[in-house]
Amino acid sequence: MAPIRSSKGAGKGGAKGGSKGGPKGGSSKAKGKSGGRSSKPTGSAPEGISKRKQKSMSLAKPGGAQKTKSKPLEQKKKKRVYTEKELDIPKLNGIIPAGVAKPKGQKIGKKFVDDPASMMAIMSMVNAEKEGHIESKIMRARQLEEVREAKKKEQEARSDEKKQQFEDKKQSMRKARKNRNSEPAKSETDENKKTPEAKFKPKKRVSFG
Amino acid sequence: MRPLTEPETKTLFEKLATYCGQGISNLITDPTNAADRHVFRVQNNRVYYVRESLANLATSIKRDALLSLGTCLGKFTKTGKFRLHITALSVIAPHARYKVWVKSNGEMPFLYGGNVLKAHVGRWSEDCPEHQGVVVLSMNDTPLGFGVSARSTAEARRLDPTGIVTFRQADIGEYLREEDTLFTT
Repeated sequence: MAPIRSSKGAGKGGAKGGSKGGPKGGSSKAKGKSGGRSSKPTGSAPEGISKRKQKSMSLAKPGGAQKTKSKPLEQKKKKRVYTEKELDIPKLNGIIPAGVAKPKGQKIGKKFVDDPASMMAIMSMVNAEKEGHIESKIMRARQLEEVREAKKKEQEARSDEKKQQFEDKKQSMRKARKNRNSEPAKSETDENKKTPEAKFKPKKRVSFG
Repeated sequence: MRPLTEPETKTLFEKLATYCGQGISNLITDPTNAADRHVFRVQNNRVYYVRESLANLATSIKRDALLSLGTCLGKFTKTGKFRLHITALSVIAPHARYKVWVKSNGEMPFLYGGNVLKAHVGRWSEDCPEHQGVVVLSMNDTPLGFGVSARSTAEARRLDPTGIVTFRQADIGEYLREEDTLFTT
């Protein structure tokens, strides 16, 4: 395993150096430097340092250089961003919604109603509401009463009519019976009821006879 | 002890207005005694109707120690509704809008906590709608309590003698029946 690793590392370094140096002619200076640096620690590193550490150290330097480059950039960006408070811009033309704006110096917490004027205002409002309720209740009760009265009258009229009909029927029945008992001969001669009586009377005669 | 807030005032007046007519405004501004007006104060959820000078004096007593002052009208429930107590009768009876006069045979049943039956009614206010607050009086105009009308006057006329005319809500018999709890907080 060990020989393979060493060969790998050597190959990597060589390949990188070769590849980077190849296409970019302009950056060859820096790359060459970095390559030189990376070679330095390997040369000067004591034998006690493990290979992994060596590698990290070797990577740290170029990386470290890069980090040092990137850090100031971030810091610069942060400095450029200001909050509105930091800027201290006067709020002259800001739009504040009516509901959100709270006037300063107002009482916090419960608002008591103790003066007669505001109490009277509340009372008049409540009274008007109650009056309306009562009025509507009374009106509805009256309407219902009217409907009930009308229904009652209608029912009475209907029952009267029925009674009248019943009475008429009774009267007609009585009349019919009287007629039958008193003058059977006359009824026979009636022109209106000729056909039905003609049928019945022979039967009666037969029964009485 | 503190004055009422706006919603509390509204709730209280709504309740008072179910029993009283326009005369209720005399409670706020008493024309007979303009110098010392009466105010409403809350102490431990109970509402008191107090003379203003007395209420001002009562501020010198710390809240925990103050048990009662003036006339107790009722109390606010946990749900924010207002419940009238029998102690408010003296305040609402003079301004009552609808009244029911009870005959002597109906006084005792009412004072024992019963509803007002038609057989016990001596007379009643005309045009009283259903479920409206009424003050119950004896035939010699002594206020006995208050309640809610069970039927409108027109319907109550057709009712049979055992039918309920007014549902009881409070009666002066409570001064004895609820003696232990009536004034405790």
